[in-house]
Amino acid sequence: MLEVRHLKKSFGGLTVLKDVSLRVNQGDVTAIIGPSGSGKTTFLRCLNLLEKADEGELVFDGQTYDLGHVSRRDIAAIRMRTGFVFQNFNLFSNKTALQNVTEGLIIARKMKKDEANAVAMQALGQVGLSDRAAYYPSQLSGGQQQRVAIARAMATKPDIVYFDEPTSALDPELIGEVLAVMRDLAASGMTMLVVTHEMRFARDVSNHVVFMEGGVIAEEGSSREFFANPREERTRAFLRSISEENR
Amino acid sequence: MSERLWRILVDSFPKILLPGLKMTVPLTVIAFSLAMVIATVVALIQFAHVKVLTQIARFYIWVIRGTPLLVQLFVVYYGLPKVGVVMDAFPAAVLVFSINEGAYCAETMRGALESVPVGQIEAGYCAGLNFVQVMRRIVLPQALRTAFPPLSNSLISMVKDTSLAANITVTEMFMATQRVVARTYEPLALYLEVALIYLIFSTVLTWVQRMGEKKLSAYGVKEARHA
Repeated sequence: MLEVRHLKKSFGGLTVLKDVSLRVNQGDVTAIIGPSGSGKTTFLRCLNLLEKADEGELVFDGQTYDLGHVSRRDIAAIRMRTGFVFQNFNLFSNKTALQNVTEGLIIARKMKKDEANAVAMQALGQVGLSDRAAYYPSQLSGGQQQRVAIARAMATKPDIVYFDEPTSALDPELIGEVLAVMRDLAASGMTMLVVTHEMRFARDVSNHVVFMEGGVIAEEGSSREFFANPREERTRAFLRSISEENR
Repeated sequence: MSERLWRILVDSFPKILLPGLKMTVPLTVIAFSLAMVIATVVALIQFAHVKVLTQIARFYIWVIRGTPLLVQLFVVYYGLPKVGVVMDAFPAAVLVFSINEGAYCAETMRGALESVPVGQIEAGYCAGLNFVQVMRRIVLPQALRTAFPPLSNSLISMVKDTSLAANITVTEMFMATQRVVARTYEPLALYLEVALIYLIFSTVLTWVQRMGEKKLSAYGVKEARHA
């Protein structure tokens, strides 16, 4: 359903992505893990054209895009069929929770207001926040804000949702509620690509794990195999360091 | 206070207030509205890094902020007729005040636009909005909220600066006062009287500002965690 080929990206003289290729199938929940600075977030941002890649190809829904030279219209087309959840939520601070969800429906997709409100209320219901529809982001906890952001991303019925460290900015006691919502979303069959530090999520929810280090994919595999028998020494070292951190 | 002085003050009050309502207020309202349009356009040009236009915008701000308002008034009203551009005093004043105020407010607006976190813009794009929609629906409303107090400040200074228009024969409040002074030789009392009227105008605007800020804080921006 989505394939990235030979993605390269550097900032100034610093090469962040050396040559990254990845396949995602319909319904896959792919976790991207790795040490900070390994290029995980940049990779995700390149897929949604928040960063412009130096070169690389994106095959998405049967269309091939040259990520190094992608037209404004193609960028718009790609974003119309994807959702993006940010580390810092980035809810529109001048809009209520409900308006945050309806904005993309009414303004970008020209949906009628009544219909958009119904869709948005259903999405807010799915993340357990029907009663917070009229609240502004500043009146919500971090966990609630992120759940609204997830509702916003999935209300447009995207083909894939990208998550950029969705729980990293949250207080520890708020992480669970966001992961629970993501788990429900995964169970509903949504295709998800998740940059995360949550090893539990990677192991229990995702079916595919990608380990990135130094701008390349060092190892990938089904999540059960990946955690049971990591092949690469650097993968083992990373997993060891993580488990020590969590102890 | 002598009875004569008291009578002068009472008699002159409508003579000063009326030009205030007929000239000072319209001059301020029209010029400030135009200044807002200029400021928004000039700030957006810089924010979006539009080539060439950004250079022109910087040049405009540099020239206007670097020269006195009074000189600008004289150039337009007394100078331009030399090259065939003749204007009545009032439109000349509107032109100069809006261009002058526009330059200052453009900087206020630019700062406010840049204070909107880039994540808001990215989230807008990811929701499928285009640049214009992101600006109009997400960035500008947030920027206006930030810019509101300094813009109110500019408006209040502008009310007082309109007294400079007396120098190009606009019969606003200050010129009206000068005329009464010339007739009665009571400069202290009369200039204090006009000062009081300016003070009343400014006070009303301060109230309006406070009400506006209350309305805008409905978003609860002060407690915003990810501003």
